[in-house]
Amino acid sequence: MSLIETTDLYKTYTLGDVSVHALQGVSVSIERGEFVAVMGPSGSGKSTFMNILGCLDKPTSGKYILDGIDVTATNLSKLAGVRNRKIGFVFQGFNLISRTTALENVELPMIYNHTPAAQRKKKALEALQAVGLEQRAYHMPNQLSGGQQQRVAIARSLVCDAPIIFADEPTGNLDTKMSIEVMELFTRLNKEMGKTIILITHEPDIAEFAGRLITFRDGKKVSDEVKK
Amino acid sequence: MIDTFLSVLRISLKAIMANKMRAALTSLGIVIGVAAVITMLAVGSGTQQNMNDRFSRFGTNILYLRQPWNLDESISSPKDVTMDDVRAIREVKNVVSAAPYISSGFNVKYGITSTSIDVLATDTDIFKTYDWELDTGRAFTEREVDTYAQVAVLGASVAQTIFNDVDPLGKIVIFDDIPFTVIGVMKKNGQGGFGFDMDEGTLIPYTTGKVKMNTGWNSSDRRALDRVIIRVEDINNIENTKEDIANVVRNTHKIHPLAQDDFQLDDMASWIEEAKAASKTMGILLGVIGAVSLLVGGIGVMNIMLVSVTERTREIGIRMAIGATSADIRLQFLAEAVTLSCIGGLIGVLLGVGITLIVAAHSTSIPAQLSIISIFISFGFSAATGIFFGFYPAYKASKLTPIDALRYE
Repeated sequence: MSLIETTDLYKTYTLGDVSVHALQGVSVSIERGEFVAVMGPSGSGKSTFMNILGCLDKPTSGKYILDGIDVTATNLSKLAGVRNRKIGFVFQGFNLISRTTALENVELPMIYNHTPAAQRKKKALEALQAVGLEQRAYHMPNQLSGGQQQRVAIARSLVCDAPIIFADEPTGNLDTKMSIEVMELFTRLNKEMGKTIILITHEPDIAEFAGRLITFRDGKKVSDEVKK
Repeated sequence: MIDTFLSVLRISLKAIMANKMRAALTSLGIVIGVAAVITMLAVGSGTQQNMNDRFSRFGTNILYLRQPWNLDESISSPKDVTMDDVRAIREVKNVVSAAPYISSGFNVKYGITSTSIDVLATDTDIFKTYDWELDTGRAFTEREVDTYAQVAVLGASVAQTIFNDVDPLGKIVIFDDIPFTVIGVMKKNGQGGFGFDMDEGTLIPYTTGKVKMNTGWNSSDRRALDRVIIRVEDINNIENTKEDIANVVRNTHKIHPLAQDDFQLDDMASWIEEAKAASKTMGILLGVIGAVSLLVGGIGVMNIMLVSVTERTREIGIRMAIGATSADIRLQFLAEAVTLSCIGGLIGVLLGVGITLIVAAHSTSIPAQLSIISIFISFGFSAATGIFFGFYPAYKASKLTPIDALRYE
């Protein structure tokens, strides 16, 4: 069974009298260990698709099975636990909590699944080591470069041993050198740790790092190709 | 469990410390509320303690007989309280002594010194009734009472004021126009009783008072007494003794068996009841003031928490994305509000205790007595304020959806 299996997803937003059809029948299946890039212009529905895959939102209709869990049949409050155990998020704006050390930011997901404090610290330090930032554990986000902040965010997505990492424009705020560093890190996590990585981007050379490219336009999947 | 509690507390403290000035101003309302409650309760209970001390010094074995202040209309012509009543009461079982009591203000002169004093006209029983002690000289005798002697026993403060270092014994002092010989001076006894403070007063025989000074007395009838002060032997029997005294007085007043009493007989218990009622009213008043200041403080906490929720919408989104449930978010903001108001409460307790100690150390006129219970209660209320006023902002935070919160700029 696929890790991610969506069947005929529809999402319609109603803004006053106008209905916006953000997704119009999207069916995708992603296997464990894949590195998928999702591309498409603004308004193509790729962000809506990612929000649904990331269990942050629910589709209007259609079915979504994540690692055997029927997400469409689970209520939003239970989805917090699903996000915690199954998914790591990496955002364009890093989304670290300010005035909180790198270590504490990485520990945060484990606070919400009630991991004992000592174990929390140990696992957070291991994750920081995996992204090469163990020396910066006690720095605040504003004392770190953009690339370092993004690597802290990646460490945070690793600590709960979630099989999937969702990266929404992870290099959007980074220069080329840092972008390549971050992308190489994703590649390594994919190869060495077997993480399934789903990446949203609109830069073709960033999408190059992925092994599979899905393209969206007008709420529909228009292409889905696996690179050799 | 303890682990979760500690991490929630740590997150709260961190959020509060991030805005120190704002937190300080917000908790100021609570600080003032709690400090005010503790100080006022301390002064309140000090005042009551002070009152209790006075009562107990004055003795609970004392009864007062007098004409009622508010006369019932059904009593057409109340009889005055007179020496006939005093003599009759002295025969009652369990009565140690009964002293006539007529008091009035006078101007007293000695040489060029003059001051105004309370003069109490009474007889020798007064010395058996109250536990007053002589410092020098002697009390007047029954013979002096019978012979209208112009003799006076001065209170300690009066003697000090008029004579300073001169020995007062044997000196002549002038009360309005009438000369009196000083035969004794009382020891200082601290606070006096109701309506008469021995330290500030002077005792003279009631006979002399009535005959020589009748223009000064506030009664048209020379035989009238203001009160009779009665001391009973066995306090456990005070109710029976009161009944016996009432019967004797009804007899001397020739009251018809079906008619009501035309006099009033009070004991300390009824005074204490009145004082208790007064201090209860004061307690309610203090409670209302405290509640209002905590309410104002609580609204301040709610206001700042709502601002905080809006400011940190994005943070809420991040926390939800990585696995925080609505309940986790609610708990976090609630903990923050409670921590904020508890810090306020703690500072308020320290401030209130400090003010109370300073007042107690530097002021003799304002008695202050700290009570541990008032400290716990006001601190508890500050925590409760945090829960109550923190709930709505926390609820609002928990109702955010992760995508809306993450998109918030």
